[in-house]
Amino acid sequence: MISGPRRLDVQQAADDLRHRTLSDMPRSLDRLIYLASMRDYNTGLYYHDGLASRFSQEVACEALADCHREAFRHLVGCSVEDLVCQMEAYMDSTRTSPSDFVTAWRKLEPYRVAVPVESDPLSAQFLFSSFKIALAILESRLVLHPAGSAA
Amino acid sequence: MIQLILFLFVGALLFSSIFFLSRRNPRTEGSSKVLVEARQALNSLQSGLLPPELVGRIFAREDFEYVANHTPKHVQEMFRKERKRIALAWVDQVRSEVVSLRRFHLGAARFYAKLKFKTEMTLAFDFAALLLTCRALRAFLYMRGPYAAPRMVQTTAAAAARLCDVSEKALAFLTPSPLSTFADRSAGTAQS
Repeated sequence: MISGPRRLDVQQAADDLRHRTLSDMPRSLDRLIYLASMRDYNTGLYYHDGLASRFSQEVACEALADCHREAFRHLVGCSVEDLVCQMEAYMDSTRTSPSDFVTAWRKLEPYRVAVPVESDPLSAQFLFSSFKIALAILESRLVLHPAGSAA
Repeated sequence: MIQLILFLFVGALLFSSIFFLSRRNPRTEGSSKVLVEARQALNSLQSGLLPPELVGRIFAREDFEYVANHTPKHVQEMFRKERKRIALAWVDQVRSEVVSLRRFHLGAARFYAKLKFKTEMTLAFDFAALLLTCRALRAFLYMRGPYAAPRMVQTTAAAAARLCDVSEKALAFLTPSPLSTFADRSAGTAQS
């Protein structure tokens, strides 16, 4: 009876993912958004061709889910100051105008679909609330310095 | 005549027994639903609500100080409202899960965990004290905000964690035995 991917394989795949891909993303916010983008919204399963070819689709899916949960936990533990810094850096990396970015994030709240499926509801609620606060801080900086960046 | 009265008496006795049995709350008598609810409550408390990192972050004064020193008034106001909402949600959820655990201890626990009378009394007192503390903490947080009673927050979290430990032992029969875990592992090794 096959009960699912072996834990050891999943750990190896997660280490591989951290080493090859996630090491280029030092911020938890970038990791969270990247890993959420690897998930199929219809099935909740994660896909990564490179990882699946080295291990198996099932193992790759579990490894991606593990890393996603890890990024989520790390982000929940961040202070407001740290979250503001991460959002600012992420905003710069997208090369969109700060005001467009803040408006889109405030209206669409894309972070709501970026959390892992099994995340604890209160932790998710807390993170959404922190994002809302961080966006308000970034917006208030834009009002003070409308032409430049939000910094 | 005496026989008729006897039959009527026995009939009434049976009827009243059935009536009282049907009125009894099925949740209190070791039903699987109570067990599942208790297990879920325990998981929710241990992995979701009580980890010190989350509790510390929700009630972190450092966030309050950062926002107070670096942001305009309207952001400070928004921050206070948001943190208060989360703090109230936290205490409400802790209370709700503790109530689920108490329901398990009131009804089902005695069927599965052989607790001494003294332990049961201590547990009953601990549950009552914790639920009362949750109510008081909620009132504090509601009236004076999330940073009003840091010690009370710590006390509540610690008391809830202690009750989780006791409940964990009482629910231990639901967790797979080491033998089955070993068998699973062996099966996994055999496959590879």
